[in-house]
Amino acid sequence: MKTLTRHTRKGLITVLILAISPATNTLQAADWPTGDEIAQRINARDEGEAVSRNLTMEMIDRRGKKRVRETRGFRKYYGDEKRSVIFYQQPKNVKDTAFMTYDYPQADVDDDQWLYLPAMRKVRRISASDRGDYFLGTDFTYEDIKLESKVSIADYTRKTTGEDEVDGHHCYVVEALPVDDETAKELGYSRVEQCVDDAIWMVRRSRFWDTRGKLLKTIHTRGIRQVQGIWTQHHLEVENHKTSHRTVFTFSEVDYVKGVHDGVFTQKAIRRGL
Amino acid sequence: MNSSELNQTQARYFFLGVTAWPKTIIAIGLILIIGFASFIPTLEKDTRADAFIPPDHPALLFRDKVEDIFGLQDPMVIALVNEGEAGIFNPHSLEVVEWLTRRLETVDNIDPERITSLATENDIIGTEDGMLVEPFFETPPRTQAAANAVRTAVMDFPLYVGSLVSRDGTGTLIVAELDDQTNAQQVYEELLQIVEQAPVQEGEQLYVAGEGAVAGYMGAYIDADAFRLNPIAGLVITLVCFVAFRTLRGTLIPNLVVAATAVSALGLMAAAGVSFFVITNALPVVLIGIAVADSIHILSQYYEEVALHPDDTPRDVTVRTMLHMWRPVTLTSLTTMAGFLGLYFASMMPPMQYFGLFAMIGVGVAWVYSLTVVPAVLSLLRLKPSRAYSIQAGENSSRVDGFGRVLDVLGRAVVRAPRRILLVAVTLIVIGGIGASKIQLDETLIRVFHHEEPLHIADSTLNRVFDGTHYLDIMIETPEPEDLFKPEHLQRIEALQRWLEIQPHVNGTTSIVDYLKQMNKALHEDSKEAYRLPEDPDLVAQYFLLYSASGDPTDFQEEVDYDYQLANVRARLDDGRYSVEKVVIEAAQQYIDDEFNAPGIKAYLSGRVNVDYHWIKRLGESHVVSVAISLLLVWLMATVSFRSAVAGTIALLPVVTTILTIYAVMGFSGIWLSIGTSMFAAISIGLGVDFSIHTIERLQSLLRDTRLSVDEAILKLYPSTGRALLFNFAALALGFGVLTTSKVVVLHEFGVLVAVAIATSFLSSMTVLPALVKVFKPGFLWQENAATSTAIPQTQTTN
Repeated sequence: MKTLTRHTRKGLITVLILAISPATNTLQAADWPTGDEIAQRINARDEGEAVSRNLTMEMIDRRGKKRVRETRGFRKYYGDEKRSVIFYQQPKNVKDTAFMTYDYPQADVDDDQWLYLPAMRKVRRISASDRGDYFLGTDFTYEDIKLESKVSIADYTRKTTGEDEVDGHHCYVVEALPVDDETAKELGYSRVEQCVDDAIWMVRRSRFWDTRGKLLKTIHTRGIRQVQGIWTQHHLEVENHKTSHRTVFTFSEVDYVKGVHDGVFTQKAIRRGL
Repeated sequence: MNSSELNQTQARYFFLGVTAWPKTIIAIGLILIIGFASFIPTLEKDTRADAFIPPDHPALLFRDKVEDIFGLQDPMVIALVNEGEAGIFNPHSLEVVEWLTRRLETVDNIDPERITSLATENDIIGTEDGMLVEPFFETPPRTQAAANAVRTAVMDFPLYVGSLVSRDGTGTLIVAELDDQTNAQQVYEELLQIVEQAPVQEGEQLYVAGEGAVAGYMGAYIDADAFRLNPIAGLVITLVCFVAFRTLRGTLIPNLVVAATAVSALGLMAAAGVSFFVITNALPVVLIGIAVADSIHILSQYYEEVALHPDDTPRDVTVRTMLHMWRPVTLTSLTTMAGFLGLYFASMMPPMQYFGLFAMIGVGVAWVYSLTVVPAVLSLLRLKPSRAYSIQAGENSSRVDGFGRVLDVLGRAVVRAPRRILLVAVTLIVIGGIGASKIQLDETLIRVFHHEEPLHIADSTLNRVFDGTHYLDIMIETPEPEDLFKPEHLQRIEALQRWLEIQPHVNGTTSIVDYLKQMNKALHEDSKEAYRLPEDPDLVAQYFLLYSASGDPTDFQEEVDYDYQLANVRARLDDGRYSVEKVVIEAAQQYIDDEFNAPGIKAYLSGRVNVDYHWIKRLGESHVVSVAISLLLVWLMATVSFRSAVAGTIALLPVVTTILTIYAVMGFSGIWLSIGTSMFAAISIGLGVDFSIHTIERLQSLLRDTRLSVDEAILKLYPSTGRALLFNFAALALGFGVLTTSKVVVLHEFGVLVAVAIATSFLSSMTVLPALVKVFKPGFLWQENAATSTAIPQTQTTN
């Protein structure tokens, strides 16, 4: 049954694409912004230098069983270096667990990651994750999390392939292909298709194909509204089509203005907790 | 007019009718064959091991539920074995592992993210300030020293020892899960090709195995077997008929009945939507042997009649033949059907039930064709004597060939020493009783394959080198989410694992406990003493969170469910025999009841081992019940037909002697009561009794109607009925004998036992039965009012 519905859905999408594409391709292709233009527009958008926010992570397995974790997170740019920390608040048995990452811009430098386990009262350095590894038991990879609402220019070549509508918003469909097999393997994707809202230059829906060309997952971005003048995604839904595992991220109390103290991103701070 | 005369009168009208429109009858017969045949292409094979158990059996349903909860799959497995000094921990072997892993990633239908090998798995290493999760090697080591380091790392990771890598380091596995299990056969074949191309060197051996492979390969295996068996069976039967009658019609007519029988059984099976199982392969072969028997008896009578009355019309001869033969043919068909019906009623296994059912239908079809199409054909053919039956001038008896003369010698021996024969029979019965008590119930599914098959070899090797491929899963259930974080529950699971590991043939166990201990150790600077369970439930929760920092969301799904309420403990056994599984399962259930279950935690047995245990356990019971049902049905039929319980009992005696003789062979030579052998008895009863019935029928006719003395009757029995029975026996024994060439071991055993049983039945019907008659002179043989009167008025049809 599972595979059947998946096929049916895939079939429907194919039909939709076929129905739309002939008209759009021939008549309007010339007017579309190129894939690179769209990518640059996306990445030019302000994301705020620092942000604090609450994040509820819901992970649902193929049988519908759910894990819910409530966290408070901070993120700050130091030039091209990005530091972030997440403090778990619920459930009780992981309360005060903290996860801190330093992302370095140089490709050949491994990121640093630390985890504080309150039951051990120790901060543990853990090995850097690969870009294609899953993030804290979710369906996002570390690369997905790192990019937030941006896209990677260096990893893909892109092409605008059509127009579409997601949640009532007009979008350009951009097909992104990894620059080489090595990159594809690292990322775990052989193809990405993004629907980009050209009014606010945010990706509203992304679909990913695994390295064998099978549809892997869909990320749906919802609840996009301005917070302190910055377009902010409040609701992310991911479905892994292979495992039927799903993840829902809900952001709240997003604040770009209050600022984040540098001392938050230290081992001492994650040990002390919030 | 008494009832028997009435019967014969009705029969006469019937056969006169049949022979009045022979062409119509033949046309209908042929059309039906074509009609049945048209369904056959829709037959679907079901080669799953699970096909042997009723789909609604609780053990199966529970196993499926457990597999669903924990996402358990039957993967494909490639094993690399190097029994050299360094085992597989040398640069070349690890390179082969890497090569195979990369190649598997490119196979369609294999999920590259769900391949497990030394080249994909991570080591969890404790360091001074933290924990590293790293592959055992990024690129295969170039030096022996580096390979040794990999060995040290792997051997320090108990979860992989015995499962991914053999305990002595001589073997390692590459395990691949499939996207779609239904294409297992294709993947298996692709893996064989990859293994063929793999850059192995001297001392390195590759094996392809896994339950996925078994199911896939079985389809092709039974096809090949069918293509070998059926033509041989057809040929053998044709030869038997030719030798018996030495005429074209004597060879072709039985083949027509055979075709109708085999085709209708398979066609109806297809039409009813019943799958073709492994043992179904025996069905056409068995039916070929059985179907021919009716024609042999009819044609024997026919040629005797032809020899006696060469100047009659074909129709007269045919009708007279049929009037002689319709009763024994009907009776023997009914008893054979009763045997198969016993199998159908007693067996809980769908393949056997359907075997019984459709074999019964096939026998029914053979009976109908023998009483309609066969006389129709005969009535159209010009009379032509068989050289096997030439007339003895002036005598009202036919003279027969060498076969008849050999039987004549046997007859004289019986008349001379009936008591000695009975003594031998009684001895056999006693020995058989003793042998029966020694029979062991046992089975293992890999035995379906010939021991020289690559799959069988791979299976044996894997079970020898690694912890074992037979899984006993134990599902642990707690009432609330996250209850499994509780240390007391985890310790209970750990104790269960330690207990399991000291059971015979259990070589290793895996559960979430092992992962927690590994993490605990890594977070305590890799100290050996820290390889134990954490005592704080919060720490358990945090370890899982820690692991998820780099793990897959579905990483522990095979060990624990998503809200930590259910866990799976997997024990690996190196032997899939029922006798081994029974010991472990029964002890485990005892342990669970007495030691494990407590308020707030319960354990349930599951997995292939538990499922196999449950259905094979029933094999013994169903064998006994099927024998009882078959004996009862056959006895009832014989009793009713001969209107005498004594007759029914006498008819059964040769069969009982036969079954007990076979039990003796099985018991003393250690042949298991298994899938194949458990089916032999019901079928042998149904078939074996036919010899008794023909013998009694004939003796009755000779004693009552021809008024011969007992000795005369017995002597007269042999060259005629005895000869027909000899060819009946030959056809059956050779038909089942064809099964002995099957490479499906189950069918081979089945064939051997039935062939031996038929031979024994034939011999005891030709010896024990007449000896009984001579010694006890049972009254029913002379009873005038018996329904078996063959006092046929000389039939003279006029047209």
